[in-house]
Amino acid sequence: MGLTAMPGDDELPLPVSNVTNVNGRFTVESVTLVGWTMQSVSHSLRADLDRVVGQKLDHPRLEQLAARLKKELRVADVSVKVARGSTPEHVVVTFEVTKGNPRRLDLEVAKFLYNSAESWNGEATATTHAAGNTFMVGVVSDEDVLVERYTGVRARFERQEFGARRLGMSFEFDNFHDEWNPSTLAAEPASSPELYHDRQVFSPEATLRIAQAVELDFGARFSRIRLSTPATRTESSNGVVTTLRYHPRWGSAEDPARPGDPEHAVDASYSLEAATYALGSEADYTRHYFRARYRFHHVHNLLEIGFLAGKITGIAPLFDRFVLGNSSTLRGWDKYQIDPLGGSHMVHGSIDYTYRWVQAFYDAGAIWDRADEREPRQSLGLGLKKDNFQLAVAFPVRAGHADPVFYAGMNF
Amino acid sequence: MDRVNLHSIKLWWLLVAFLSGMAVAMVAEELILRAHGSRLEFAPQVPFLSAPTLLARLHNAEEVPFDMKATVFTGSRDHEFAHNEERFVVSYDIWEETFAATRMKDPQKQVKHMKANALEAWCISQMSLDLAGLGSSEPFWARLEIRAENPERDRGLFGQAVGDSGISLLSTLTDIFSRPAARQQPHWELNSPRLTLDELRRRKS
Repeated sequence: MGLTAMPGDDELPLPVSNVTNVNGRFTVESVTLVGWTMQSVSHSLRADLDRVVGQKLDHPRLEQLAARLKKELRVADVSVKVARGSTPEHVVVTFEVTKGNPRRLDLEVAKFLYNSAESWNGEATATTHAAGNTFMVGVVSDEDVLVERYTGVRARFERQEFGARRLGMSFEFDNFHDEWNPSTLAAEPASSPELYHDRQVFSPEATLRIAQAVELDFGARFSRIRLSTPATRTESSNGVVTTLRYHPRWGSAEDPARPGDPEHAVDASYSLEAATYALGSEADYTRHYFRARYRFHHVHNLLEIGFLAGKITGIAPLFDRFVLGNSSTLRGWDKYQIDPLGGSHMVHGSIDYTYRWVQAFYDAGAIWDRADEREPRQSLGLGLKKDNFQLAVAFPVRAGHADPVFYAGMNF
Repeated sequence: MDRVNLHSIKLWWLLVAFLSGMAVAMVAEELILRAHGSRLEFAPQVPFLSAPTLLARLHNAEEVPFDMKATVFTGSRDHEFAHNEERFVVSYDIWEETFAATRMKDPQKQVKHMKANALEAWCISQMSLDLAGLGSSEPFWARLEIRAENPERDRGLFGQAVGDSGISLLSTLTDIFSRPAARQQPHWELNSPRLTLDELRRRKS
């Protein structure tokens, strides 16, 4: 038997079509999502799914959409199924969502950071899912976020849907041992706020999903601190907490089939925490915190503009005071030099621009307790950023000698 | 009672030996070759489109790339005399229920509207080798390798292990220890016994 090309076959002369999949000539008749409601998919992703209808079948693009669905819905898997449509030369596309997480236990490095002005910071968590519930336990040692270094364990229970699809709930318990920088110890005031050795926090919260991009968290936070002097004394700081979040997104820069489309996203929130004697608290204060971040993504360009503002009335414990001069605010400054006890007022703005892996940023902000202490500061930095990994060097903008601060790690 | 057991054991051993022999014979399938002048051609004896995982992907309107390599060794089977590498992208027309393939190497070729066995034969036919310069009585060995490419997914530094909430240790470890991917990759390898071109020509006649 001769083994040259089959007689009568459909061997085409050169050049052949760029389309190697014969199904690429079929038109997508419909797109459906099985195992999940389309309403709970973000506006931009839903728009990209809708755009597939009427187009020629492009399997790699469908796989990319499935990967985006999987990431956004945080599900075990999303598979693409293609079948004949109701009319010839048409196909129907189904995205099948597998909700259950095949991994019983997920170990995750939630944060890892080296900051040359501080030290190492890290958090590792173990998470398991069962019947719509999420259980998480983690260990953490962090000096970046607050004035103190807190080291200890976190435990969290979360249920996405609690009686209603729009309502979720969570309970978190934290137990930390606290250490203080020499600058903070030297600056410790005679009166409140006082330093403490240990801190336990219990936070029951509910989340109401008001609309596609609007959520309201409300609940309480019960904190107990064991003071450094005298060592046996404990104090409580109990209050109600509420956060309103708005996080819309437009465009579809994540869709590789539409690389020219810009994407805009806003993530804004306002938090109010009110500690009150009525809940057995020894502290009585109110903390307002506003944060907003605008993100513009176009091809290889990513621009992020951030704004923070906060105000505390009354005397809040140190863990609730504001901090500037860490790996996300006034990068390049040492927070212990700016305000070793943190501040009760704060305002901060930042601009980050990333082209491919290269990042440049500018920060400006001020932190103060009394109006006459308010001193605007600025910083500049350069770095490399890929996914959640970042390596950066930042300089404070000031007269005279300025030591750079190095940052390296992920998720900070 | 002991005798009965002894008989049973012997029968079992015979059965096991027979099945093992069959299995070895199936695994060690010899490559069937033909010579046309100085060209060496391979018989279409590998039903590579029948692998269930690949067929499922094809029936789902996906395309599946196949990499093929034909090699002829001479000397003490340590010298590569000639080789041919090709990539074929195969798809299945879900309306016509026929197969199509594109040979990706220049000059590119495309076939459509074919049944599975005809398409397999066409792909294998593209793998023929020119043995000009090889003596008619010089011994050689031939090998044909076929490998289906797994779907590409989860590119990036840590692939799917990196999420918004951090880097998943279990995902990373699972990915690392599930390699080499070649173990999951459908693949076939057929080898010929020691042959000469004269022997092949005599077989043909």
